[in-house]
Amino acid sequence: MHLRFDHGTIVLSDLPSGIDLTDLPGVMWDPRIGALRAPAMHHPALRDALDLRGVRYTDDLDRTTGLVGAWTEPELRPYQDDALWAWQSSAQRGVVVLPTGSGKTRLAVAAMARVRCPALALVPTRVLLEQWLRELTLAFTGPVGCLGDGQRRIEQVTVSTFESAWRQMDRLGDKFGLVVVDEVHHFGDGVRDEALELCAAPRRLGLTATPPRGPAADRLAELVGPTVLELSVGDLAGRYLAPFQLVTLRLDLDPEERRRWEHSVALYRPALQAFQRDCPGASWADFTRSAFRTEHGRCALAAFRQSREILSFPSAKRAAVTALLARHADSRLLVFTPDNATAYAVAREHLIMPITCDISRPERASALERFRRGELRALVSARVLNEGIDVPEAEVAIVVGGTQGEREHVQRIGRLLRPREGKIAVAYELVMRGTAEVAQSRRRRAGLAPRQSHLL
Amino acid sequence: MLPASLICCELRGRVALPRFLGEADRPWMRVLVDECDRAAGHPIRELEARLREPVSGAPGDKQRLVAHVLLGGSRSRIDSAVPPREARAVVFSAAAREPVRPRTEIIAACAAEQRIEPTALAAALFADLPGERLAMPPAILDLGDLALRSNLLLAQALLARAFTVHISLEGNTRAVVRHATLRGLLCSVSHGKTGDGAHLEVSGPFALFRRTLLYGRALGSLVPVLAWTRRFRLEAECEVRLRPVTVTLATGDPIFPSTEPRRFDSQVEERFARDFGRAAPAWTIIREPEPLAVGRHLIFPDFAIHPRSDPARRWLLEIVGFWTPEYLAQKLQRLREARIPNLVLCLDEERNVGEGDLPETCKVIRYRRRIDPGAVLAALAEAEFR
Repeated sequence: MHLRFDHGTIVLSDLPSGIDLTDLPGVMWDPRIGALRAPAMHHPALRDALDLRGVRYTDDLDRTTGLVGAWTEPELRPYQDDALWAWQSSAQRGVVVLPTGSGKTRLAVAAMARVRCPALALVPTRVLLEQWLRELTLAFTGPVGCLGDGQRRIEQVTVSTFESAWRQMDRLGDKFGLVVVDEVHHFGDGVRDEALELCAAPRRLGLTATPPRGPAADRLAELVGPTVLELSVGDLAGRYLAPFQLVTLRLDLDPEERRRWEHSVALYRPALQAFQRDCPGASWADFTRSAFRTEHGRCALAAFRQSREILSFPSAKRAAVTALLARHADSRLLVFTPDNATAYAVAREHLIMPITCDISRPERASALERFRRGELRALVSARVLNEGIDVPEAEVAIVVGGTQGEREHVQRIGRLLRPREGKIAVAYELVMRGTAEVAQSRRRRAGLAPRQSHLL
Repeated sequence: MLPASLICCELRGRVALPRFLGEADRPWMRVLVDECDRAAGHPIRELEARLREPVSGAPGDKQRLVAHVLLGGSRSRIDSAVPPREARAVVFSAAAREPVRPRTEIIAACAAEQRIEPTALAAALFADLPGERLAMPPAILDLGDLALRSNLLLAQALLARAFTVHISLEGNTRAVVRHATLRGLLCSVSHGKTGDGAHLEVSGPFALFRRTLLYGRALGSLVPVLAWTRRFRLEAECEVRLRPVTVTLATGDPIFPSTEPRRFDSQVEERFARDFGRAAPAWTIIREPEPLAVGRHLIFPDFAIHPRSDPARRWLLEIVGFWTPEYLAQKLQRLREARIPNLVLCLDEERNVGEGDLPETCKVIRYRRRIDPGAVLAALAEAEFR
């Protein structure tokens, strides 16, 4: 019998007669080619099952090639060392949950160095792609490949964006022995999961500060492995992370803004409530898809957008941002907005550099560097700064608004927590009284509560 | 790729009918194109707003589709006194140095350094943002062209949500199969009712396990190629608005075609066709003759050749050039199974094929870089003599 990689799947051909192999992990009969086929992620389990049954086979997938290059293994803090040990004990498959700023990339580099096999790192954004390339180039003497942001260079150690990995894993999935997934919470309930299914790498390490719960967590365990260690901000703040204060400023809409907001809400809420009655348990995405089909629904969606626009940067938030920027005139600040339009409004009014998807990658990199050097005192962003970006100098955050809930909030606050001598981080959250923002604020703060430190 | 919200189609039970643009849509499409023309020199965001305004007689979904195509094809320029990136670097650095100084003073001081007006510097700060760039006259002015391009995008967007595609077609089958295979799709081919007709079942390897959108782009890319067949009918199993539906496309649908598929797979084939035509003027050479059925599969010979005076003395010629070992083994196995008596196999000497791998019934000519038409004619003469 023969196993070969075929576009993100394993084809089992030249089947031995008299043995039923259709119950092997993930295997199905493919009438199109007259052979058995399984998603590539089942490759290790397939080999184990065939060995157990004593079936002789040849296998095209050979990832034992020595690395062309050497690793410098970084020094680890005690909790990072625990995490690596826990991952290795879990057959080198699993998710490590550590807060932002606690050195997840360093842990990943240590894992790659320890395993010493071809490795692929997956990252969600182009900015992180660049950051990982920088880190890996420092730790690995061989060439480091890059997939995404217009580049397509495959090496034994390669970094890829999620999007490029999803598009190209059917051609790459047999080339790596270890796959590291940064911000792994993006997997577990979406089409991008297929990137991990199309990959035959037996060793898998997921990293996140905000693990998914419920069915997505189960799916993630199947794709990457179980959670092997989990620590929260509260567990490391003060020792390994900068201590921080979270201040919520409750503000009022002015009478005209209040009138317009109430009018918008009165337009969309009945449509939403009617939909929820008809389709209990349906998601917001289901509502928008359904609403888009009718004129009435489209009006409801337009009213919803208008209500969000009113809350995004009303006069009280404008005044608060002005006051806070003046109060922290000597500090390095990050301003987080709900959307790009608000980011540009803040940038125009306060002459703060925006970091958005519209600003080119070299200019963003240059701005981050100037912020680190102190030549820029503040940055404003809606999404780009949310995840992974290293800005250890930031001390103060102003959260003008957000759209992504608890996970986004934890990630944003995490930007402040990279430790520095004598640093005490402060995060201000601007919330409009008597609006949906009050409940949103309560929900997103839950993600910052200390959890019991534990090895799982 | 067209976003799901811009797919305009009518759902009737389990069937999705694309709402293609046609003659009746031209009056309101003209209004939109004129808006693009008028918006030249204004920020793109203004053009976006104008194209969103309801136009008399325009169905909302179709208008959104055309607006998307027009904006996607729109050209723009940056108009600023200093390059925006430079303006940002100067102004934001100055603001960081003097955090309590009023905004207007900082801009005025920076503008004086740059020797431009403060208002010009303020305007330059974000003049390169997508919405702030100035629109240029539209690239697509012909309404027919605009409709065909919009329809193609619509058809491709529907196919991008397909899991499996069935195609019945006549003519240029090989080009469609080649395109599908090159895009990593599995293509099961069977004989159609007519001589060169064929049925294709196209899907991706992973589609065996799940309804996946992984192959959406590849499946969508088949649409413009199909426009080069004599006749086709495509049925796709798709998911549209969370519902499983069937989409049908066929010859006559108003879809923008791709550029004509390449007539030859390789330079070797192209050169052989040319050389053979010159060396054997008494012979006819036919590129891509009708396919041959071999069990469940079809074989597409590269050429058919016969003396002009005697079409019954017909030979099929297959060139095996640069392919993977796996593909070559599969191809030779099919040719062996086919036992075609009048086959000439031209084999690249660099392909490591043993005599035992070759079909017994065929004539084999080995070549290096170029196939000698004289060698082919000699081999045919020898075979016919026997």
